[in-house]
Amino acid sequence: MFEFLFKYPLSVYRKGEFLFASGLSVWLLFIAAAAAAGGIWWYLQRSHARLSQAKQWILWGLQSAMAALALLMLWQPGLAVRSLKSEQNVVSVLLDLSRSMALAEGDQSRLQQAVAALDDGVIEGLRERFSVRFYGFSGDVSRLESLEVLPDPGNATHIGEAVAGVLRESAAAPLGAVVVISDGSDNSGSFSREVMAAIRNSRVPIHTVGVGRTVIPGDIELSNIDLAARALPKSRVTARATIEHGGDGGETRLTVRDGTTILASKDISLRRGEQVQAEWIDFPAGEPGIRDLRFSLDPLPNEEITGNNYLRRVLDVPRGRKKVLYVEGEPRWEYKFIRRAMTKDESVNLVSLLRTSTNKYYRQGVETADQLEEGFPETAEELFTYDGLIIGSFEAAFFTPEQQRMIRDFVGKRGGTLLMLGGRAGLADGGWGASQVEETLPVQLAVSGSKTFSREKAKVSLTVEGRDSLITRLAADPAENTKLWDELPELADYQTFGELKPAAVTLLNVSRGGEQSPLLVRQNYGRGKTMILATGGTWRWKMSLPHEDERHHTFWRQLLRAMSADSPGAVTISSDRSLYADDPRMQLRAEVRTKEYDPANNAIVTATVTADDGTASAVEMHPSTEEQGIYLAEVTATKAGAYRIEAQAFLGEDSLGAAALHVRREDGVAEDFHPVQNRDLLTRLAEQTGGQYWTVDDLSGLPEQIRFSDAGITAREILDLWDMPFLFLMLLALKGCEWMLRRQWGVI
Amino acid sequence: MNSKRSVLVVFALLALVATSVPLIGQRFRSRFMEPGMGFADPDVRAEFFFTRLAYSGYGGGRRGRSSWTTDWPQADYHFMQGVRRLTGIDAAEGGRFVQPVDDEIYEYPWIYAVEVGNWVLSDEEAANMREYLLRGGFLMVDDFHGGYEWSDFMESMQKVFPDRPVVDIPESDALMTIVFDIDQKIQIPNVGYAQRGVTWEREDGFPAHWRGIYDDEERLIVAINHNMDLGDAWEHADYPLYPERFTSLAYRFGVNYVVYAMTH
Repeated sequence: MFEFLFKYPLSVYRKGEFLFASGLSVWLLFIAAAAAAGGIWWYLQRSHARLSQAKQWILWGLQSAMAALALLMLWQPGLAVRSLKSEQNVVSVLLDLSRSMALAEGDQSRLQQAVAALDDGVIEGLRERFSVRFYGFSGDVSRLESLEVLPDPGNATHIGEAVAGVLRESAAAPLGAVVVISDGSDNSGSFSREVMAAIRNSRVPIHTVGVGRTVIPGDIELSNIDLAARALPKSRVTARATIEHGGDGGETRLTVRDGTTILASKDISLRRGEQVQAEWIDFPAGEPGIRDLRFSLDPLPNEEITGNNYLRRVLDVPRGRKKVLYVEGEPRWEYKFIRRAMTKDESVNLVSLLRTSTNKYYRQGVETADQLEEGFPETAEELFTYDGLIIGSFEAAFFTPEQQRMIRDFVGKRGGTLLMLGGRAGLADGGWGASQVEETLPVQLAVSGSKTFSREKAKVSLTVEGRDSLITRLAADPAENTKLWDELPELADYQTFGELKPAAVTLLNVSRGGEQSPLLVRQNYGRGKTMILATGGTWRWKMSLPHEDERHHTFWRQLLRAMSADSPGAVTISSDRSLYADDPRMQLRAEVRTKEYDPANNAIVTATVTADDGTASAVEMHPSTEEQGIYLAEVTATKAGAYRIEAQAFLGEDSLGAAALHVRREDGVAEDFHPVQNRDLLTRLAEQTGGQYWTVDDLSGLPEQIRFSDAGITAREILDLWDMPFLFLMLLALKGCEWMLRRQWGVI
Repeated sequence: MNSKRSVLVVFALLALVATSVPLIGQRFRSRFMEPGMGFADPDVRAEFFFTRLAYSGYGGGRRGRSSWTTDWPQADYHFMQGVRRLTGIDAAEGGRFVQPVDDEIYEYPWIYAVEVGNWVLSDEEAANMREYLLRGGFLMVDDFHGGYEWSDFMESMQKVFPDRPVVDIPESDALMTIVFDIDQKIQIPNVGYAQRGVTWEREDGFPAHWRGIYDDEERLIVAINHNMDLGDAWEHADYPLYPERFTSLAYRFGVNYVVYAMTH
């Protein structure tokens, strides 16, 4: 419609410069218009004196507008644009040859539709003015001799890289424009802002032609699984599944398998009106080893594309136990029952230091005879060997300022988790409000004032966040989980504190006498986490329930696993993705710290990549220029399968540690995902480069529009605007209005 | 007239009783009950209470009281004074008592049973005691002597745990070092030692046995002091004629039992 009214598409107006081709001054136009308006007014005063003043004004307005329009057309408005010179420029046509283009759209595949549309006069039109080059792209881009013989479909779609590749190849040629014909299902994972900026900087307009449906009814897609790379043995793991669907409702089932063993499944109702839905599913990590997990959604009835209903992930369950240090200032029942809860735990070793009387300590869970022999660690190196730290009913003044600083750094720098418990000498009553540790805590603690610890029984309840947390997961079913919490006996005691800090999340509340206050609160601080459990009385859950009831022990095991599972070592390694679908390039990132957990900038870091057939290769990682202690590398996964990547770091002769990561490369799956046309991406690519988005059904205007480009060999061209239909229609409308009014008023 | 005199006599006797009972109580209290001694008020809050097991049994305790009250209240009070002074435990001065079938028993993970040679646990009581111990409770039994009382004790104990053996507590057990290093297991006698100079109560009541029952995780859950009377040693801690070495050993063992129960 815009083009019909204004003669040229909007993109031409954006590129062009407005001018008057008559060469007459604009001021003269205004003067002429004003003179015409004055003359019209003088004429109306003389010839239509019997009309009321208001009607005279209306007629004056209509006639003056017509006069102004006519004068405007006489001045010959135009657009000065740069356009490609005929037969001197190159236009590159990129045709998406990925497997998703083979999807049937009615009688034809997407690719057949695209070729047919190009053959329908478009190529001919382009060839009349330009030299046309054809390219085919999927995972990479290659020149095509013609559109008659096309290579086999590829397993990936890398639009950004294909366009950038063609721009590079044509750097020496007068490239006037690029036409990309695709469904837009880019699965490179690297079509970033930077790639887009690089394309935009070439100043070559990219015209995109969208192929394929924007909605596929009855299709569901498991588009992502968020899952930690590692889990503790015999712990429970939560995965977040992102499900995309048409928003039409329906029922499906999410299943997690390790090989042929079903670890968990969950019935899911697809919500009407929502097209993206997040679901959580938790399952047992099992024994130490590598879990080759397959997440799948049961197909909907008559679902057309089922290849996007599953995803694979690798979960590393490393051997060995995490270490949590529990320091307690007084013998109390909570201590006993926490220790009992962790007795059989194979993933966390609870090392405890109990002050039995003044200057007398009792150690449990120590691995060597001299561990904690001198009491609480006095060096950061010793404290940082633990993954978590629990401080019970222990007054802050017991810890030296240096030890308090170490505790703060244990969270902020080391990346450990600090859990503070309620008690006679816990939290504010222990003077922690005035300690160096306070700034790490998720709540405000009073510096002085009345006692906050109470030995009155109190009831516990789950919060909304608590329902989703693995720490408070007593049953997989949410309703059952809430019921189990509601039925728990009261705590033996509880403690209150001040306001929650902005980043704090409350997982449990405690209520007594109708008043509710937070009980279990957590927040992230620096590289680690802090938590507060404002009670020393969960032991009543164990003593007040049948001895077979495991709720107390389950809660504490999950709490301590959550404290320690993510605790980073001195060396950590991560990858940009956990699954490389039809993409061999892995971006690795290692973070290396000294024993005091300061960034290690001069380390030698080697990444060894081992495929599942045992073949291995090593690459030295290079330090990042932007972040301290960060080392980067790109490695190639030569074939599909699971890969183990181990980073080892040395500072001189000293080993700083090692870390391992497991990832998977899978081939032939990427094109099953996002099968609908990604119109947003194609539109964005066109708009940001000065091109235009086209549909495959209407490409007739493409050869004409493509010539307006700043790239290539261009000439300045002035496009007439005086003859645009809009101006004539306006004249007609103004005259028509005047005629109707005159008829009504009887002054024809 | 006679009937009037009889009524007056009855009233006079009642008045005499009414006025003399408090005096007797006051005298008794001044002799035996120091401030804070006895069972704690219900509103007293503390982490630890000296909790007696009010079992049913043959009865016949001294001074007309049931066996389970033996040595009460001085033993409880004196021992708690020691616990409060020698450990960091928030221990109440006054104690509590619970019956084996009470749900209240689960509020007190440490209980003390004295003269268990007299206890008779019904099946229901034994089941509740078993449940208590399996949930994490700790039972210390004391002051029973000789083979006859051992048999009576075991008759009920085997109802609680038919298949868990009673074993001697090894020297290597954490109990022996948890607060105090205990390197002697001498017989701790009752107050009769001060009068007669013998350490045993029954002719077959020696030697002393420090025994126990362990759970599946090898944690001591029942501490059995056979042929000993730690209760008397606590009770007569302020009796000049009762040897200090017995009292101090009884305190050390008692503190270790309590702290062990709060850590294992």
